Amino acid sequence: MKRLLPLGLGLGIAAWLLPYGLDGYAMHVVDVAVVFALLGIGLGLVMGVAGQVNLAQVAFFGIGAYTCAILTTRAGLGFWVAAALALLAAVLIGLIVSIPALRVQSHYLGIVTLGLALAFLNWVTNAGVAGKSEGISDLPVPPMFGIDLSSDYLFYYVEIIVFAIALAFALFVVRAPLGRRLRAMRDDSLAAAALGAEIPLLRITAFVLSGLYGGVAGVLYAGLIRYVAPETFSIANMFLLLAMVIIGGRQSIVGCVLGAVVLSLIREVLVDFSVYAQLGYGTVVVLMVVFAPTGLAGLPALWLRRFRASQGRAELHSFVPYGEARAPEPGRVALEIREVSKRFKGLLALDRVSMTVTDGEIRGVVGPNGSGKTTLFNIVSGFYACEVGRVLLSGEDVTGFRPYRLSQAGVARTFQNLRLFGDLTVRENILVALDRTRTAWIWRYLVRPLAVVRQSRDLGRQADELLERFGLAEFAAAQPRALPYGIQRRVEIARAMAMGPRLLLLDEPAAGLNGEEVRRLAEIVRALRDSGVTVVIIEHNMGLVMSLCDRVTVLSSGRVIADGPPREVAAVPEVIEAYLGESTYLSLPGDVSQEAGR
Amino acid sequence: MQVFLQTLVGGIGFGAVYALVAMGFSIVYRTMGLVNFAHGSVVMIGAYTASTFSMAGRLPFPLAIAVAIVVTGLVGLIIERVLRPLEGRDFDLMLIGTIGFGTVLEALAILIWGATGHAVPSPVAAAPVDILGIRIRTYSLVVIVVAAAATVLLALFLQRTKRGVAMQAAAMDPQAATAVGIHVGRSNAIAFAIGAGLAALAGGLIGPMLYVSPTMGGSLGIKGFAAAIIGGFGNIPGAILGGLAFGILDSFAAGTFQGYSELVVFVVFAVAIMIRPTGIFGERTVNRA
Repeated sequence: MKRLLPLGLGLGIAAWLLPYGLDGYAMHVVDVAVVFALLGIGLGLVMGVAGQVNLAQVAFFGIGAYTCAILTTRAGLGFWVAAALALLAAVLIGLIVSIPALRVQSHYLGIVTLGLALAFLNWVTNAGVAGKSEGISDLPVPPMFGIDLSSDYLFYYVEIIVFAIALAFALFVVRAPLGRRLRAMRDDSLAAAALGAEIPLLRITAFVLSGLYGGVAGVLYAGLIRYVAPETFSIANMFLLLAMVIIGGRQSIVGCVLGAVVLSLIREVLVDFSVYAQLGYGTVVVLMVVFAPTGLAGLPALWLRRFRASQGRAELHSFVPYGEARAPEPGRVALEIREVSKRFKGLLALDRVSMTVTDGEIRGVVGPNGSGKTTLFNIVSGFYACEVGRVLLSGEDVTGFRPYRLSQAGVARTFQNLRLFGDLTVRENILVALDRTRTAWIWRYLVRPLAVVRQSRDLGRQADELLERFGLAEFAAAQPRALPYGIQRRVEIARAMAMGPRLLLLDEPAAGLNGEEVRRLAEIVRALRDSGVTVVIIEHNMGLVMSLCDRVTVLSSGRVIADGPPREVAAVPEVIEAYLGESTYLSLPGDVSQEAGR
Repeated sequence: MQVFLQTLVGGIGFGAVYALVAMGFSIVYRTMGLVNFAHGSVVMIGAYTASTFSMAGRLPFPLAIAVAIVVTGLVGLIIERVLRPLEGRDFDLMLIGTIGFGTVLEALAILIWGATGHAVPSPVAAAPVDILGIRIRTYSLVVIVVAAAATVLLALFLQRTKRGVAMQAAAMDPQAATAVGIHVGRSNAIAFAIGAGLAALAGGLIGPMLYVSPTMGGSLGIKGFAAAIIGGFGNIPGAILGGLAFGILDSFAAGTFQGYSELVVFVVFAVAIMIRPTGIFGERTVNRA
């Protein structure tokens, strides 16, 4: 970060001196490029960082520009008053467009937002107040303490100051805990929810941000060109904007800016060959998507990784148990499941399952595949709603709570098939879980950025401690998917523990681990229990379950068929039957022909 | 009442074309999980090829459409081949890749046919048919019949032929399909070619109903896609129903709201999708944690 400061300063000075070397036309082109760069930041935030396919960015841009134009020419408001209201309008539209995102994602969201962009275009080409297809001309020159902003040179300085603030804010948000949460949501919204992220609120935030940036770009455009018409906000320009962000690198704000500036300039150079330009950027988008999905901004990292791969390997260290232990209160109930049933269409996945886990216990949940173990976890952690039954956490009824609320109530879980955030580093994975603030806290990003920085630093310290404790310090900067399976499993447990939970749900934590790794896992789980966490563990490795668990619950076809200490449960005939099939078959050990025939 | 029926019949005529576009979307989506945003542009290429061969090439209209189907089929194969490395990896990237292809196709169309479009004369010259006081363009009837025939043929292919069943298998589980000896890549390529062929059929048919221009693919593609979603994405009967629903909605909106019809149509669509994201026939997929 410190190294980047002189670079940023240098670029700032260069930007400040730029107009001295440009003629009038070139200055105008640069002014337009800055507007597109702002739009690019907005699209990068919503699409690259938050993973929301938003094809209505150009409509946010249009709302900003048109509101400004209508209010100044039709209502006679001053430019800056109109501009403030235009920003408000763009943010409001961002809020409205985010509503579909709460229900649909990916291509569905893409087509809905594209449809809404078309709807906007349709409105401005037909509404008299928006000047129909001719648009609105003769917008007033924005007044600025006697400085003549009708000059492209002077307007550039207004733009560049706004742009610098906008860029700094975007970079700040992306690096701060909010940006990390948005990226976590992009990579895996289910896991992010399990870590306490309020997904709906985050999606709304992303769209509001992109609306804000679209609005700022629109206002500047209105002040610069002083003429608005529908063709500026066409779908073709939306796709051009998309191309800018993809080519520059959607996950990097700097990349988005770079792409926007480069493509705007190229478009201007090829203005007489616009068809070839279109052909060109379309082709480049396709090539980028296939060969360099992280865009221009991602190229250095791509090369760097290749270089790093040849260096020495990091080492996994052993786990350091927690020092202070919270003594469990004997007999106190940590988790109670009462008569829970869950039906998927015709299949009864859970049939009146009841289970009581006392404080400080390690409880095993075993059963054949498809017996409903993971469904049970999904209900306890809030991913499924159960129609019948109740779930109580330390006596408090938490039935039907959303995952983020359960996470805040102290329930942490891991997933059967590992759900680490693939594009975040190991350290960032931990940081997402460490951040226990509610999303509503984000007003501070605008008003008290220093508080955010302080919180961010605190989280960083805690993350380093936790990585050290789990022996993962040397993998802090690695991307999870590049790590061996056993280490990924440990990262997931560390991430769950980063939430400081009361109840830890482990879904097949030993799957895919070798003998030594299983032994270490058992040590870790015991140490976690000793630190005061109640553990429920789904596992197929019977050796582990027998040695580790205080009690075992056996599920079969969605029903509890046994519950008790491991030794006792293993002797129950129904359990043996469920695991080994027909008991009559077991009673015929001599029948080898049947065995061979399988 | 008469106006109502007239609008309804007009809507069904357009709806049949939307249904063809939606079917093209759906068959590609269900076989390879790819949302082809370039589909609208493929429709446009189909419309241009068909109209060029029938007007300048003086081919009979059905033959011109057949040529268009071959041409767009090839385009589909190219798109599939280029984007194959992304298959099953990153959904959003594939989506953006197809948008890139759409841009390229549009630019190519401008280079070949020019930026301004042309009108296509109706291939059937007969006077409108009068049924119960409603005047129906003969051409609308032709479109409806051809679309219905194409649907039946597609359904027969998918359910009754070995290749069709293999394609369905490859769609459901590519790995298992590979294990039983199905060439998944080839199956996907065929699906893409069929989808593109359907696009050409739709484009060829709609040519005489609209003005053929390089940008016609935009709104046609979006409406066809929206129709596919309304019907339940990846579902063939859903695509037909969604297409008809969209055509009817479109023609009533045009009658009632005049210039604002597109605004109304897309706002209604957005609301419908929020109420029922899975569409009419869509299955709710359980998100496995």
